Amino acid sequence: MFAYTIRRVISGILLLVVMSVVTFYLFYASSSTPERFACGPKCTPTQLDTTKRALGYDEPTIVQWGKFAKGFVAGREFPDDEKLRKAAPEQVVECPRGCLGYSYGYSKPVNTLIKDKLPISVSLAISAFVIWIAGGVLLGITAALFKGRLIDKAIVGLSLLAFAFPTFFIGLLLLKFVAIRWGIVELPKYSDFTDNPFLWVSGLILPAITLALVYMAGYIRMTRAFVLETMSEDYIRTARAKGLTRRVVIGKHTLRAVLTPLVTLSGLDLAGLLGGAIITETVFNFNGVGKLSFTAVQRYDLPLIVGIVLLLASFVIVANIVVDLLYAVIDPRVRLG
Amino acid sequence: MTLTASNLESHGDDHFVDAEEDERSGKVDVEGRSPLRLAWARFRKDKLSMAALVVTTLFALMAISSPILKRLGVIDPYTPHQDLLDYATGNYPKGFGGGMSWSHPLGVEPGLGRDVLSRLMYGATLSLTIALSAALITVAIGTILGIIAGFTGGIVDSAVGRLIDLTLSFPATLMLLALSGVVVDRMTDLGVPAGATVNGLYIVIVLSAFGWPPIARLIRGQVLSIREREFVDAAILMGASRRRIYFKEILPNLWAPLLVYFTLLMPAYVSAEAALSYLGVGIKNPTPTLGNVLGGALEYAYTDFFFFFVPAAVIAAIVISFNLLGDGARDALDPKAGR
Amino acid sequence: MGTNRKRLVAAAASMVVAVSLAGCGGDSGDGSGPKGQTDQEVTEATKGGAVFSLETAVTQAWDPQRTYTGRDLSNQSRLVYRSLVDFPKGVTDNIEGQTPIPDLATDTGQSNEDATEWSFTLKDGPKWQDGKPVTCEDLKYGVSRTFATDVITGGPNYIIGYLDVPQDADGQPVYKGPYTGEGQDAFDQAVTCDGNTITYRFKKPWPDFPYAVAALRSFDPYRADQDKGDKSKLSVFSNGPYMLDEKGWNEDSGGTFVRNPEWDASEDTNRDANFDTITFEIGIETEVIIDRLIADEGNDKFAFTSRSVTPAQYPQITGDVEARAVNFESPFSNYLVPNFNRLTNLKVRQALAAATNRAAYVGALGGDKASAPSLSIVNPSTPGYVANPNFGKAEGGDVEGAKALLEESGETLPYPIKLTYPIGSDATDKAFAALKATYDEAGFDVTLDGLDPSGPYYEQIQKPGSDSDLIWGGWGSDWPSVSTVIPPLFDSRVNITKASNGQDYGNYASDEVNAAIDAAAAETDIDKANEMWSEVDNMLAEDVAYIPLDTTKFYFLHGSGLENYVNSAGTNGYTDLGVLSVVDGGK
Repeated sequence: MFAYTIRRVISGILLLVVMSVVTFYLFYASSSTPERFACGPKCTPTQLDTTKRALGYDEPTIVQWGKFAKGFVAGREFPDDEKLRKAAPEQVVECPRGCLGYSYGYSKPVNTLIKDKLPISVSLAISAFVIWIAGGVLLGITAALFKGRLIDKAIVGLSLLAFAFPTFFIGLLLLKFVAIRWGIVELPKYSDFTDNPFLWVSGLILPAITLALVYMAGYIRMTRAFVLETMSEDYIRTARAKGLTRRVVIGKHTLRAVLTPLVTLSGLDLAGLLGGAIITETVFNFNGVGKLSFTAVQRYDLPLIVGIVLLLASFVIVANIVVDLLYAVIDPRVRLG
Repeated sequence: MTLTASNLESHGDDHFVDAEEDERSGKVDVEGRSPLRLAWARFRKDKLSMAALVVTTLFALMAISSPILKRLGVIDPYTPHQDLLDYATGNYPKGFGGGMSWSHPLGVEPGLGRDVLSRLMYGATLSLTIALSAALITVAIGTILGIIAGFTGGIVDSAVGRLIDLTLSFPATLMLLALSGVVVDRMTDLGVPAGATVNGLYIVIVLSAFGWPPIARLIRGQVLSIREREFVDAAILMGASRRRIYFKEILPNLWAPLLVYFTLLMPAYVSAEAALSYLGVGIKNPTPTLGNVLGGALEYAYTDFFFFFVPAAVIAAIVISFNLLGDGARDALDPKAGR
Repeated sequence: MGTNRKRLVAAAASMVVAVSLAGCGGDSGDGSGPKGQTDQEVTEATKGGAVFSLETAVTQAWDPQRTYTGRDLSNQSRLVYRSLVDFPKGVTDNIEGQTPIPDLATDTGQSNEDATEWSFTLKDGPKWQDGKPVTCEDLKYGVSRTFATDVITGGPNYIIGYLDVPQDADGQPVYKGPYTGEGQDAFDQAVTCDGNTITYRFKKPWPDFPYAVAALRSFDPYRADQDKGDKSKLSVFSNGPYMLDEKGWNEDSGGTFVRNPEWDASEDTNRDANFDTITFEIGIETEVIIDRLIADEGNDKFAFTSRSVTPAQYPQITGDVEARAVNFESPFSNYLVPNFNRLTNLKVRQALAAATNRAAYVGALGGDKASAPSLSIVNPSTPGYVANPNFGKAEGGDVEGAKALLEESGETLPYPIKLTYPIGSDATDKAFAALKATYDEAGFDVTLDGLDPSGPYYEQIQKPGSDSDLIWGGWGSDWPSVSTVIPPLFDSRVNITKASNGQDYGNYASDEVNAAIDAAAAETDIDKANEMWSEVDNMLAEDVAYIPLDTTKFYFLHGSGLENYVNSAGTNGYTDLGVLSVVDGGK
């Protein structure tokens, strides 16, 4: 188990190194004029050249990757130009170990930006997660218990309907009608949990629902299927035969059997979301990592794009390792190797 | 358990497909040998699945016929009818329901006065074409790599495994957005016609490039179990070539899961096109797709709810009918999947 | 242009058109020259209250030398950065509203005979937010930063070409900015301080210099001890009536400005500073901003924006809401240029000009509230504007005339045209589809080539060998003068190099026009100069060097709790924060 964990971690790190090279080549080697945005609209070709040099985009991709890798391992200072750093020390930006680069669009280190935006994405992800898990499990069990009846069909049908409409459409519908037109809830806006937990919740409701609906349908149907499957298993039938009440059987046996796979699976989904939900954050103007990455793309902010890609990748890689280990712990039949 | 997370908000493993879960928990169950007729009989009994089949068939027919209708002049997604608009109110359509009439059953769009129904029909055609091409390529890449990995084993298998890990680790939505500038530029330089062609092709390429790993995993798992069966052994003993084994012996046993997966990819990709269009990637106006027709209608939520709602409803209808069809197909092919 | 539906390109698109300086145009469009278009007036105001600015585009920079969008230039001037001279507050008249008045300086500047040397004397009294006086050295340091083109990016860096600093082998100034100090001597000779008097020396005559000072923020003072290079991009060190609060500026969500205790109202008469605080809420979609302003709830009662109402929302602007709306011509003009490397046949160009259906184009953009057909590349708000008679009727779209011209041209029909334009909004796409329809009717075969303006669009149109036949361009002048419109767009000497055609997207090169430009630019008598510019415009029109399309219109909405809401000419038609106030001071 320990050896396996070590092996997985090492291969995860290797994967990230390979990804960083691939990502660098995808963006740095291919982008024709990332400096265009920084230079502004009435930019002359000479100015464009100066800007390109100032942003360091004129160097070969491998050199830029080398600087990135070195910065990640040992830390780095910006601006890149040593002459400028010496002449104007007040301009130097320290980017300590783990440095993901410097965003010229925001004039800040990528790490600082992500650190600032991550709480927003995490809040959104967690509140959506709570909604979709709670809703998914409750509605899924209900549907299974009333299999084939109207309530079953209604739950499955409505959740499919909510899933089928595009996320941005649902989001805009909620924003435009529920918040602006009817004023049922406050305009969605992020507040710090520590500042005011109530505002934190009320500002998150609509975006969290929007995001939860993407997943909820899947979880309802999954729960429903698991419950039906489990209820037909021998040991449940035995329990029923023993004379245990339906409630006990469902509460004790079925639920436990159902929750295990659900929790592990949802862990993976949550990991994917921690790094931001681009569409939901864009619709509701939540300045999380998702919106940040979107802005980075709009501005051709290559260091920021690469930094976010690698961070999100590491989330997924870590989550996969954790889930695989969890599987092994929960289900002894799974052999690691 | 069939909904692929198609709304582009998820990142990481796409695990809403049973076979993969089965693989994770170590049990692989294949019903590949079940005769087509048996499955069809089961399928026909399910009313919901049959309804889904009818609706998807209608969509397919519409997709095939609308280019012909366009050529015949029956539908016309491009010609402006500004005479039907009221200049004083910001070129908003005159009359009831956004300018509804016999010649424009769903009205005309504000600003330019193009026929809404024509744009929806032609847009659905393009969206479905994109989804179909992307789904076919996705399934092809996944199948080929999955068979190779599963059958060859060893270094090739682990190489494919690493490639799967690598691809799945990329945040797909962000990559789809971020690569568009780069890749579209490159393709234009290579001579792909600018505009709708290159943008449509881009969507197909990136959706396939990030969509194949789950299929490859699924197929690899299936191959591993099939490989152990007698008929493959027999073929090897009889001196069949490797290629022959891949395509003649193994592929026919995989069509059932592939068909199901393919059916579920279609709606996922239709949604993806719409979402990407909202974020500014993909085919642009004047060429209509469901995504950009919807994008152009979003502003009209208050002033013309019908115009705002209809494109989204068409997308939803496609997503639902294909999903139900996929469900039905899987249930019919694998009766044990609890439903 | 219009609304920004296509999100990915929204920022870039707004960047393309958002750069301008000049005032609001006359609603007339009949060629009678610029005048004020709204009947807004400044009335008595109560001090106090909080106002809110709702915006879509993020603020690229709060660094004065790195700012180049019209809205930000105006806001900075009214809130935090004072200049030697400034445009007057609360004036909608285009001439008066765009005539510089003294701000930090005692007068509007003294020039030598040929306007190659300008001097200003600083007032006693203006102070920074830490109480220290604004000095001549601060002014000199401010403009010096522009030379550090590797750090100070995004601003109107081209002004370094005006100052009399020698060039190195690459054609760049030998002075590389204050950070490395390379070539400092050369700069110290071009800009000198003598006590409270600052003197600028230029390579060639610059009679408009005070206009540039008032319009741009490049010549604003900057305190050397507050300069942290790129780190200062979003910091504010104020000498105006407001300063950034302790939370600072958040690049994605905005920030709040509070009163600057060191600012002295009795000395600065160009800023009323009525409200107590102003909060910028940025990154919101245009339609959501308008929806909120229509709803007029809570803090949104005190909100305003620089985003126009989208055509989809026009039907909602009625009754009470209409009273809070204002609709007028902006300083942005749009046009098409034929590529002279490809469309060499004059008749073909004339046919294109005749067939250009401005009415359909404007209609697709949302009608007469969104845009107005124009007949010159010069914006109607610019002094010296004349509707050019060469372009026929305002609505355009003369299919028969175009057909006849195409017949005469002797070309095979249909004549293929590749029309390249920047994608931006749904309305933009519709507008070009509308143009295509009429061109095709007249005998052309138009292929629409919409490209992303954050890169590919310029790549395509600026390469001299481009295969685009017809190219869209949008322009807002940097300060209100024809000299900032025609020369940067059509003077082949400043634009065309081997690698790029600069802003001369049509590769237009005419020695006669160049000579006429030189003559007009050297004329120091403004009326005479305007006449000469109008002659240059005629020469361009006869060659069909451009085809005018429209003047973008602003359609702004604001909350019911605001008073003295004025779209001054001096603030580029955006909300004049120098006079804005809250009803009853928010009490």
